[in-house]
Amino acid sequence: MGFHQGLTGELYDRQYSNKALLGRIWDYAKGHRKFIIWMVISITLQGLFAALPPLLISKILDEGIAGIPNETAYTILVVTIIILQLLDFVFYYVVRRLLTRITADMNRDLSVDAFAASIEQDLAFHDRLSSGRIVSRITTDTNDFSMLVRLTMDVAGSMVQSIVTAIILFNTEWRLALILMAFVPIVMLVVSSFRKLARRVTTQGMRAMANVNATIKETISGISVAKNFRQEEEIYRDFKESNTSSYKVNVQRGFVLSIVFPVMRTISGLSIAVLVYFGALTVTQGLITAGAWYMLLLASDRFLMPILSITSYWTQVQTGLSAAERILALIDSDRSVIQTDNIKVESLTGRIDFNQLSFHYATGSKILDHFDLHIQPGENIAIVGHTGAGKSSIARLISRFYEFQEGELLIDGVDIRKFDLPSLRRNMGIVTQVPFLFDETVEENIRFAAPDITRGEITELAHQIGNGEWLETFSNGLDTQVGERGAHISMGQRQLVALMRVLAHKPAIFILDEATASVDPFTEYQIQQALGLILQRSTSILIAHRLSTVRSADRIIVLDHGSIIEEGSHQGLLKQGGHYAELYNTYFRHQSLQYIEEAGQILGKGLSSSNPA
Amino acid sequence: MTISEFRIPFRYTTNRSSSIRWVASHALHHWPIFLVALIGAAGNAALASVPALQYGIVFENLTSGAYLPSVFLRAGAVVGISQTIRGFMQFFRNFGFEVTAQRIERDVRDEFYISLLGKSMTFHSLQSIGDLMARATNDIREVNYIFSPGLNMVLGSINFLFIPLGIGASIHPALLLTPVLFITLYFAAIAHFLKILQPVTSEVRSTFGRLNSRLAEDIDGIETVKAASQEEAEINRFKQNSEAYRNANVKQGDIEARFLPLLLLALAMGFGLLHALILNRQGLIPLSSVITYFSGLSMLGFPTNTSIRSYSQISLGIASAKRLLSIMNSHNNLDQNENGHSAAISGKVKFENVSFAYDGINLNLHDLSFEVNPGQTVAIVGQTGSGKTSLVRLLNRTYDPLDGSVKIDGIDLREWKLDSLRAQISIIEQDIFLFSKSVAENIAFGKPQASHAEIESAAKKAQADGFIESLPEGYNTVIGERGATISGGQRQRLALARAFLTDPKILILDDSTSAIDSKTEDEIQQAIKLASEGRTTFIITHRLSQIRWADLIIVMRKGRISAIGTHEQLMQTSRSYRNIFAEAKE
Repeated sequence: MGFHQGLTGELYDRQYSNKALLGRIWDYAKGHRKFIIWMVISITLQGLFAALPPLLISKILDEGIAGIPNETAYTILVVTIIILQLLDFVFYYVVRRLLTRITADMNRDLSVDAFAASIEQDLAFHDRLSSGRIVSRITTDTNDFSMLVRLTMDVAGSMVQSIVTAIILFNTEWRLALILMAFVPIVMLVVSSFRKLARRVTTQGMRAMANVNATIKETISGISVAKNFRQEEEIYRDFKESNTSSYKVNVQRGFVLSIVFPVMRTISGLSIAVLVYFGALTVTQGLITAGAWYMLLLASDRFLMPILSITSYWTQVQTGLSAAERILALIDSDRSVIQTDNIKVESLTGRIDFNQLSFHYATGSKILDHFDLHIQPGENIAIVGHTGAGKSSIARLISRFYEFQEGELLIDGVDIRKFDLPSLRRNMGIVTQVPFLFDETVEENIRFAAPDITRGEITELAHQIGNGEWLETFSNGLDTQVGERGAHISMGQRQLVALMRVLAHKPAIFILDEATASVDPFTEYQIQQALGLILQRSTSILIAHRLSTVRSADRIIVLDHGSIIEEGSHQGLLKQGGHYAELYNTYFRHQSLQYIEEAGQILGKGLSSSNPA
Repeated sequence: MTISEFRIPFRYTTNRSSSIRWVASHALHHWPIFLVALIGAAGNAALASVPALQYGIVFENLTSGAYLPSVFLRAGAVVGISQTIRGFMQFFRNFGFEVTAQRIERDVRDEFYISLLGKSMTFHSLQSIGDLMARATNDIREVNYIFSPGLNMVLGSINFLFIPLGIGASIHPALLLTPVLFITLYFAAIAHFLKILQPVTSEVRSTFGRLNSRLAEDIDGIETVKAASQEEAEINRFKQNSEAYRNANVKQGDIEARFLPLLLLALAMGFGLLHALILNRQGLIPLSSVITYFSGLSMLGFPTNTSIRSYSQISLGIASAKRLLSIMNSHNNLDQNENGHSAAISGKVKFENVSFAYDGINLNLHDLSFEVNPGQTVAIVGQTGSGKTSLVRLLNRTYDPLDGSVKIDGIDLREWKLDSLRAQISIIEQDIFLFSKSVAENIAFGKPQASHAEIESAAKKAQADGFIESLPEGYNTVIGERGATISGGQRQRLALARAFLTDPKILILDDSTSAIDSKTEDEIQQAIKLASEGRTTFIITHRLSQIRWADLIIVMRKGRISAIGTHEQLMQTSRSYRNIFAEAKE
């Protein structure tokens, strides 16, 4: 919700001067210059025409009073009024249509630009920001902004009407007009004092709503737990408490908001009462006609109401402008990953060199310090180490998701900064720790990085893994919908689909940031088969969490605080009894068959020590 | 009486036969405040007509040349006082509708929530939490909006439609013509407007939904999009989606632009004036009545202008009420069986030719038969989707089998009193849910009256006391939403502690010890060993060490038991079972 964003800003937020802000908004509007000109003309005319009928009616009345038997003039006036009313409808129609198009187009253009800007941003940017907030900028803020455009036009129309009415009033009888004017500051004062109060209760109401939403979310998510333990009554109490408190706050809010309009009404009613009396007196003094008096009464509403709406509109102007500022800040945000050249990549051998490379994230200490690593074409290396050792950073630098600060990173002997990024990444297959799937079918997800592959080829690939048995576990084979972020299928299946994606794509370089979550043993077996197929033909960098993955590498790199402290083969390193052996005991040992057999003893021990006094 | 797993009497009964009746029955319950709102609405409209009548009186005085200042003063005073009272009336109307709306929101949510609590687990496992959330928050909010601003505007303005009728009739019967025609055409036009608007607004919603969900996916999966260098393709897709959304918006705007009541208003004002003037020329009515009549006609502006939004607001609210009712009225197939069998469970479990289907048609479990003795530990293994979870869900009667029977201690589960059954069976789920409460309260969730000593001893048994002590406030530490501030392994141990405290006779662990590394593995092994002592335990697990040492291993494949026995037996008889142990050895 836009409201939450108002409370805390983002790092990339910036302040635009009013001039700069309006200039940027104009950039988006000027494509519709013709529409806007037409609309301004229509709005002016609409305001003008809306202000005229009282004038004409007063003419009719005065003629009626004088008893002038000028039938034609009479008819002309009435017909003019009808025509004016019809024009009002026609202009409303024209303005609405133009306005709808302008706002919808600006909304679309802004959100497309904001989306393009955020998707082209590097990952350092996305790490810092919750995706929910970015999404909300692209949708909610653009909506808030187009609401501003719509309101501006509405208010512009009211203002024209108000000004024209004011001119007519002054021309008719300036003293009475002045009386009416005297109400303007009162109205503004009342509205602005209400605005503060209204904003406070609205904020409270939103907080209470956020609160009740959070409780509802928790109590609904907790229903199954509550049912398991037969504790429905307990969570019902929690729910009831927040529901009731939200009700109370909202009634308070409703109270304040319910007062505003009646107060306005009363003020305008009193101003009319004054006009009725003093107006009638001026008629008796012969200053104005009776018709003009009636016109004043009709016009006063048309004068005061726009003023009311303009005053209350000001808050929304601020909302809309700050929404515009937030979207533009997103569009204008600086990038840190910058390419110096755009060498297109046809094919890669897969050689990777880190030379004296230093890297740290935007905030935080050095992850890699003068780091050296050379990976031969076709080599498979596994990187192991404790959490925070810098394993994932290596993978992410090769993927060029982040900018490094010192040293160089060469792919096939060429500085990674000189490549055309899309073409470089087309030669890489990257599987992230939580494999991300789109809410599409299994087949579409596999095809994501290789749009040209046929269904036959996919089926063939699928059958190279465990005879395609894994496909049978999906309800609908390749056509199974995986759900949002792959929610309908298991973690193991998600990993298999992500690996299939790489198999279909056949990259020169394969980067795997292995998931830590465990997978059922049958699926695990198939994942290993898929991995084996990929390793055969790509240079591979494996951030390993599974024993079998570590074992399948040609070379194991042990990382600690951003530097390599050991390297070699699994057996060799184990024999050394150094850091790798320690890591093995921490992370991998329980996956070994030896441990599984030993577990029987632990369980036996568990039995004997089961009475801890 | 509806069938329900759990009942809390709602304070009053509502009519759930249709969405309109349902909302109306809620509104009727709050009739006193609703009445205040209606009186406010009527008073406001009635007093709004006062100035029009006073204008006529003053105008007559002015044209007759009588020039009586006392008449002007009286008229001014009447206008001033009446409009001030009108301000109060309007306040009663606004606040009355607002309070009605808020009360209805509160009560509808209450009723909805009680109904959710009464639904079976079958229902909850099929419903997405996100969807229920959306209904419990946004849809209920929409029902609130039916009353404020929806009905507030409609009922508040509808009176204004009839003022010209009254004024017209009091002046000259012929003057009824314009208001009567206007009212008739007005309602026809509104009905037409809503009819053509409805499909377009749902198009606006669905195109926005599509745009938003792909957008959220793209930003969440930004690493994948970049890794596959699909930025351009995704930008194009976003362009298409926002173009569709834009077009739907333009369609809606165009329909709103063609808002016929506005045209009707223009015509009514013009022809009404003309008509009154003609009557005046014919000497049938005085000129002052023309003024009164025209002022009355301009009251039609209010209902016309407010109806652009308020009617669609109401129809949106009714649609939301329908969505709520569809959940509340959905059929529930499990009853709490108040008078059923109730006894201490010893832990003997028997499946006899059990088949099961979530949808009642496509079988998820085929003909399962096996027997477990009290105190045994059973490991269930198999690929995702092979039916492991469905199998254990039959144990605490989350679902009933389609065919065959599940028996505990020789008694069919359908004969058991649900309370007695569930109180003695505990499931620790894959995705462990913790409440935003203290650690101690979370552990004591199944037994709120537990003493602190009991809680601590349960935590000790679950190997959880170590990390709990290291939390900033120990057992009193409040854990964040969904327990975000503690790790997966710690959550699992808290869930174990929760189960220890209730001391179930049958314990089911559904892959609940996955996020644990070698270091904590030993501790967890011991904890589970302790947990399984003296009770029948079912473990769905990926850990070979747990499978290896179970008393009975059931290998599931595509909803059937493909192998069953001890580790030694299976190593002999099952190739796929042998496979997984062979692979680990390599």
